Amino acid sequence: MADFDDDYEDFVDTSIPARSEYELNAGIQDRSNQVRGFVSSGRFAEAVAKALEDPPAGRDAQGAKDKNLQVVMEALAAPRGTDIPVIVKQLAPYQLDTLMKFVYRGMAYPEAFNPSVLLTWHEKVTEVTGLGSIVRVLTDRQTV
Amino acid sequence: MSFPEVHQLLHGIPITCHAFNKDRTQVAVSPNNHEVHIYRKAGTSWTLSQILEEHDKLVTSIDWAPETNKIVSCAQDRNAYVWTLDAASGQWKPQLVLLRINRAATFVRWSPREDKFAVATGSRLIAIAHFDVDNDWYITKHIRKPIRSTVLSIEWHPENILIAAGCADMKARVFSAYVKGIDAKAANPVWGEKLPFGTVCGEFGTTNGGWVHDVAFSPSGNVLAWVGHDGNVSFSYGPQGPVFTALSTGLPLVSLSFVAEDAVVAAGHDCIPFLFKMTGQQWEIVDRIDKGNAKSASTENSAMDMFKKMASRAQTTADVELNSRHQNTITSVRPYLTQGDRVTMFSTSGVDGKLIIWRL
Amino acid sequence: MSNTLRPYLTAVRATLTAAMCLENFSSQVVERHNKPEIEAQTTKESLLTPVVISRNENEKVLIEPSINSLRISIKIKQADDLERVLAHMFTRFLMMRAENFVILRRKAIQGYDISFLITNFHTEAMFKHKLVDFIIQFMEEVDKEISEMKLSINARARIVAESYLSQFS
Repeated sequence: MADFDDDYEDFVDTSIPARSEYELNAGIQDRSNQVRGFVSSGRFAEAVAKALEDPPAGRDAQGAKDKNLQVVMEALAAPRGTDIPVIVKQLAPYQLDTLMKFVYRGMAYPEAFNPSVLLTWHEKVTEVTGLGSIVRVLTDRQTV
Repeated sequence: MSFPEVHQLLHGIPITCHAFNKDRTQVAVSPNNHEVHIYRKAGTSWTLSQILEEHDKLVTSIDWAPETNKIVSCAQDRNAYVWTLDAASGQWKPQLVLLRINRAATFVRWSPREDKFAVATGSRLIAIAHFDVDNDWYITKHIRKPIRSTVLSIEWHPENILIAAGCADMKARVFSAYVKGIDAKAANPVWGEKLPFGTVCGEFGTTNGGWVHDVAFSPSGNVLAWVGHDGNVSFSYGPQGPVFTALSTGLPLVSLSFVAEDAVVAAGHDCIPFLFKMTGQQWEIVDRIDKGNAKSASTENSAMDMFKKMASRAQTTADVELNSRHQNTITSVRPYLTQGDRVTMFSTSGVDGKLIIWRL
Repeated sequence: MSNTLRPYLTAVRATLTAAMCLENFSSQVVERHNKPEIEAQTTKESLLTPVVISRNENEKVLIEPSINSLRISIKIKQADDLERVLAHMFTRFLMMRAENFVILRRKAIQGYDISFLITNFHTEAMFKHKLVDFIIQFMEEVDKEISEMKLSINARARIVAESYLSQFS
């Protein structure tokens, strides 16, 4: 019987068009500037929403993903703890699912990003989405 | 008896699957081993009447044909048996079905006309079996393409030709299971005009990945619903039709059943059956059918205790029981009583060994 | 310090509950076998994305779910050499008696101190929410245990030192 394990990539959704590394990086640089702009003017909710936009996808985009993670983490670290629930309430369900993916991704590097901030985000997102968003982080093959 | 009717058939042993007979006086269950247990209704409770032993590994699925009164069972030993009641002795006689598969059989269902049955398997195929009168045995045909992992569930279209399959490769598919000589030539306005055996009439993915645990057709057969491990329930109105997704807020659902053309009951790891309805433009979760027992917070826990637990264990009370009828994952949801096009009662069974009959 | 313990455990509890949605899944590779897919790693589509929950660099949890089993690995807080020795001895003691602990794995995953393997057979035989409670309880007990051992070792060392030095006074 044929072994299908090599087709693992095929279980990943290929409907998203592949973009070149250059294109991705340019997009992230752009986004990074905009996010910084929002953060410095205290518009944290907009900064988070902007950072979550259109995350780089695919297995080949690891470099772009790492850069993008930096941008998202900057946006997440900016607001005070008491502002977090307010921001979470403004986000749509699909944005919260993406946010949750970044929270887990960030927690994998406790030396680089402050886990206690991420734990607060985790708690506040779970309060809104229930366990559903965590389940979707586990099942989704489209990692960030 | 007040609803929901809770029957603790087994203690500490999961009910892998269950199937009622036509008049709901008997139920066949698999007690998470190689046996099939048949319970008979005695007043308001159920008593074990027969044990069918022929399989030698876990029985994964059972279906009971209402009209022909035949039971089909399949197991991880790669076999399926059709059981016929011998009127004289009152015993169930097994007949082995050669499935020609080399991995576990995972799910089995009789077709609506009861002249065929479909078996889902871990061999990445679906076996369609029908009875051959000349040779006095069951003949199986395989649907292989394009299945790429274990098939987890199967549901027949009410017109007896099409089947839907939920698969661990994250897809729900609709196939033609047309068998020459049994089925009249058929075309379906929604799912396709030409339907030779094995035609793929539709293929749908899960929104956020995850295995497709269960599939269901609406009473008309025009809507396909499926549940994925991502916790979402999705609905398709034909291969070209729109797809709706109802986002869940909880753990993955593993079983679902239509209760009307615009309503679905689904249950799973949350131990609670949920009701989904088409509300105008969108499918939405409208109700949790198990409201739980409104337990008053136990008073022996002092406020001090509560804060201690909050601080140390991240939970408020040390709950021994879940606040639901089922105490563990619900693995199967099936219609129990149908009136016209509507299911008015349904049954669930789960890992906690309970069989529960609910009224909508 | 302890103010981050609660959100940490909350996150572990939630993730563990979400990951512990297991079902019986017969092997697609070996005929008539039933293997924990997370250990076999032969059927890629049966595995889910592994996640890490961290409190700081020294305390984190790795959860690797699959269709019929999940692995949870814990990195226990080790602030100094003494705690490192104690954690090592303590986990070794437990893992050598793994069969008595049912869900304990005999060997920890690389980079972690102790690992548990939970399969669908465990969630069938035991209540799922109780299994989650057990892991959470273990996580808080182990910290307590190690700091208590550390205290008692320090206390003993002091007594030894005092009685030794008393000869010279």
